Amino acid sequence: MRLTISDFRLAISGLLLIFSLSTFAQSNLTYELRVGTTGENALLANFPESYAGEKINIMVSVERLEDGELDFIFSNIQHPISNIQSFDSIYSYSDEIGTFWTVWRSNKEIKNRGQRVRVQNAYKTFEEYVRTNTAVAKRSTGWIWFVFAGLLLIAGIVSTIGYIAQRRKERLLTPVEQETLRRKRMGLRRHYGSQLYLWLLLLVLYAPIALIAVFSFTKSKILGNWTGFSFDLYVNLFTGKADAGLNSAIWYTVVIALIAAVVSTILGTLAAIGIYNMRARQRKMVSLLNSVPMINPDIITGISLFLLFVALGVSQGLATVCIAHVVFCTPYVVLSVLPRLSRMNPNTYEAALDLGATPAQALRMVMLPELWPGMLSGFILALTLSVDDFGVTFFTKGSGGLETLSTFIYSDARKGGLTPELRPLFTIILLVMLSVLIYINIRKSKQEEKK
Amino acid sequence: MNKLVQIFSSRRTWAWPYIAFMAMFVVLPLILVGFYAFTDIHGEFTLRNFAKFFTHSEAIQTFLYSLMIAVFNTAICLLIGYPAAYIMAQEDFKTPKVMAMLFILPMWINFLLRTVATVELFNMCGLPLGEGALLFGLCYDYLPFMIYPIYNTLQKMDNSLVEAAQDLGANRWTCFWKVIVPLSMPGVYSGIVMVFMPTVSTFAIAELLTHNNIKLFGSLIQDYITTTDLLNYGAVLSLVLLIIIALTSFFGDHDNKEEGGLV
Repeated sequence: MRLTISDFRLAISGLLLIFSLSTFAQSNLTYELRVGTTGENALLANFPESYAGEKINIMVSVERLEDGELDFIFSNIQHPISNIQSFDSIYSYSDEIGTFWTVWRSNKEIKNRGQRVRVQNAYKTFEEYVRTNTAVAKRSTGWIWFVFAGLLLIAGIVSTIGYIAQRRKERLLTPVEQETLRRKRMGLRRHYGSQLYLWLLLLVLYAPIALIAVFSFTKSKILGNWTGFSFDLYVNLFTGKADAGLNSAIWYTVVIALIAAVVSTILGTLAAIGIYNMRARQRKMVSLLNSVPMINPDIITGISLFLLFVALGVSQGLATVCIAHVVFCTPYVVLSVLPRLSRMNPNTYEAALDLGATPAQALRMVMLPELWPGMLSGFILALTLSVDDFGVTFFTKGSGGLETLSTFIYSDARKGGLTPELRPLFTIILLVMLSVLIYINIRKSKQEEKK
Repeated sequence: MNKLVQIFSSRRTWAWPYIAFMAMFVVLPLILVGFYAFTDIHGEFTLRNFAKFFTHSEAIQTFLYSLMIAVFNTAICLLIGYPAAYIMAQEDFKTPKVMAMLFILPMWINFLLRTVATVELFNMCGLPLGEGALLFGLCYDYLPFMIYPIYNTLQKMDNSLVEAAQDLGANRWTCFWKVIVPLSMPGVYSGIVMVFMPTVSTFAIAELLTHNNIKLFGSLIQDYITTTDLLNYGAVLSLVLLIIIALTSFFGDHDNKEEGGLV
């Protein structure tokens, strides 16, 4: 008997079913606590703003350790919180997983946000800890396994049904038809491995992104901690209840991107017209100059501009960031306008001048309508480049507290955790990007069909 | 006034503002990197900073380590990316456009956020952060930059050449190595440049992916350049990086007369 595509399908369905069963089994396992609060792996967390001015309890989980080691860890925890004099151990108990818990209450108030503490979570009261206990203690990944297993199960069932339906249909065909069908499939079969490879690659590429998207629907502070489905983060994001730093970072990102995109579009379009009308040698020189910021990696552009501003004695802030963004955006605008220029009739502009138009009029009424698409794509490219940039912004933002989204994420991540509202923000950005790309793709294929 | 109008009606001059801008904010800053590298804090000429670099074992080690990481990452991206690009460029393969799009999409999401998400993924799976996580994260961030140019060149490739090779008796393997690979080299070169350059100069990803345990050359430069007293030494390190970049881009430019790039 020869293998056909249907047999592969059956095999895949079987595998899917087996996998789904094993993942279901997986989802029922209790996970051992893995809160990194010991030794070098201790996570840094900061106190949320709302806790300022309150006495708090700090819950520290310590994996079962020798007594001597516990002492060491306790003293180590106390140390970094410099403006809290000491913590009294008020509760301590062991839970069933074998983890030793101790609860400390600060006897002084937490002054401000951003205190670095070697703890995973802070709770106002012990009761609050107990309420959210499962999330912390079990770090409930079980839920995800459950969904994953469900998806696998559905895929397995669908593909089994498909297999059965196809087999039935095939029985009704004449032998000749069956033979042609079989040949067709033999041709397609060799793509199965390739397709599997691509899908696996995509799965890995999208796993972290999917993680962000999934966890935008829960309100836990830590990514990877499922505390029930909720839209709270989305609501916070749109009602401005999110962290003040995040709000201003979003605002600055938008402002900088718009300024940089508008300026670089104007500058780049004019430059493209100029370059297009230059003699070959000059044009080559300017194109070389144009490609320098594109070749330079972020860090070099950032550092060189940083040195320039230092040398000039300019204090760095919004203006310097905007200049820096114009520097690396404009070359792309030039490159997207140039092809439009070479496609347009070079004589129309002169004709307009001969017929009495001023250069400004000729530019507005003859050139712009032709260059418009190139300018628009340059503008959009500049916007995305500016929003995405980290390296250049990092070196030119100065120390005046100006943050864009990228630098905000960076300093946030270095503090130990991501501001939760970033998750819905980037889920939205992802969806917008996805729909724009799909739209462009559809339009392109429609245009190709017309041709 | 009339003369001014004349100047501006010759459209060649329209590039002047841009040229002036670039001279001020691209050329001058790059010259300044060199200037700072050859001077001390007081602005006097000195070679001491270079001498410091060659005797500073931490800097040399970090530099070599970063180069090694970048080479490894480029190799991994090429090994993973080439087959993917090749498969997608096959004519009879179903839905290649959508696939190509899906591979490019992650490039448009902030790479820091993707890196943080990678860190969380590692935490969630219970995998340790370190060198492995670093390579995974770098590869994850830059893989699309490898796939895209190769895919582009392969797609534009004249398929009749492959058919000719098959007609002349080449088997699939020979055909691949003797026809397809040489023809896709421009894309491979530009992919290598596009992955190698950002990897060798990366400075934020490594800190996040290794919990600050591994320092790459970019982070070292960042440390020195933001410290006022050591700014000149930081400039030396930047100059070293600049030379590497120049060499790489020369390598990419040399064999890549045909376009195969991203833009």
